[in-house]
Amino acid sequence: MKGQKKKARAVLCLSVFVVMAGVALAYGQSTGFTDNIYPVGKLKPTDSVPKLKVADVAPDFILPAVEGGTISLSQYKGKKNVVISFVPAAWTPVCSDQWPGYNISKKLFDKHDAVLIGITVDNIPTLYSWTKQMCNPNEKLWFPVLSDFYPHGAVAFRYGVLRSDGVSERALFVINKKGIISYIDVHDINQRPFLEAIVKALEEANRQ
Amino acid sequence: MKKKSSSVVFFLFIVVAAFLFLCASIGTAVKSVSADSAGLSTIELPIPESEGEKEYLGLTGNGNFKIGQIKARVLIIEVFSFYCPHCQRTAAQINDLYQMIEKRADLKGKIKMIGIGAKNSRYEVDSYRERYLVPFPLFPDESMEITEKLGVKGTPTFIGVKVDGKGNQEQFYFGEGGFQDNQKFLTEIIRLSGL
Repeated sequence: MKGQKKKARAVLCLSVFVVMAGVALAYGQSTGFTDNIYPVGKLKPTDSVPKLKVADVAPDFILPAVEGGTISLSQYKGKKNVVISFVPAAWTPVCSDQWPGYNISKKLFDKHDAVLIGITVDNIPTLYSWTKQMCNPNEKLWFPVLSDFYPHGAVAFRYGVLRSDGVSERALFVINKKGIISYIDVHDINQRPFLEAIVKALEEANRQ
Repeated sequence: MKKKSSSVVFFLFIVVAAFLFLCASIGTAVKSVSADSAGLSTIELPIPESEGEKEYLGLTGNGNFKIGQIKARVLIIEVFSFYCPHCQRTAAQINDLYQMIEKRADLKGKIKMIGIGAKNSRYEVDSYRERYLVPFPLFPDESMEITEKLGVKGTPTFIGVKVDGKGNQEQFYFGEGGFQDNQKFLTEIIRLSGL
């Protein structure tokens, strides 16, 4: 009799667990991306010492790209304006909702004869997983994403945007075809810059 | 005795299972419905410049309008973002929802749609409209004031509001994360609004 009761209770518990697991999975599918974002809270708006200013020559760099191979800044000199978007870290709130906007704005960059380069201090496997979440399945971001992971944050450091905790600022640099910096926005890390700021900066770069 | 115990267990199991499946099927619609629509009544949006959008919403003149002044019986609000990959992926589906409503004689004019671009500038909202050919009016919410009044935490979020065209509004649906089936969603909106 006792054994029967225990058995019945066990069946009930197991059944409820199975049903609840099914419900959780159903929700997980629709909110999976959101659930994977690490909540960083409100951070000090900027936390680095500027090293560069408008009209300086942009320091050259060569970094590994998520898609394989390496990308250097100098390969665009004399050919394209370059927008460099530093974002602090993969899988964090604002960063995860910044490049997806740029990903649907290729026309805007093409119109201003510009390329976009995304840089974070994360390693390649992390960036691979994270950037995949930004597009439709079987699609890729149209712009290269570079890893400034090792030596850690070396490019961010040279651009004066490496924060004291090892992530970079949320910063935009526009470099004209002559290789000269024409725009710098070391943004409040908690906020996303508006798209039109890039458009205006590119218009200015094309006037130079 | 043994039989009775098993029956009780079975009954309990059915009740719990049924409750959980019900919760799952109606999703976040029930758990997040605002009771007093307090935030909604304080929201003001700019009357669109486009004559087509003015006509769709049943508005005239300039200045601001309240949600309840939209000429319809039900308003579906999509809170989206130019930067949200999920919104981008489902933009075509939401356009289809609009077309589905407009093609049904019993719904056209009664259910209308607008979009609120959370933390988006006018430029970003216009870029989103152009990129996805969004056929319904979109409004930027650069300061997040409207998004916060609506109680929205993430995008996309869909809100169903009963309106009377005279300035009164009552929220009856709040769903985060979108939906997969337009027909099911529309049926749910019709059922919950009592249209």
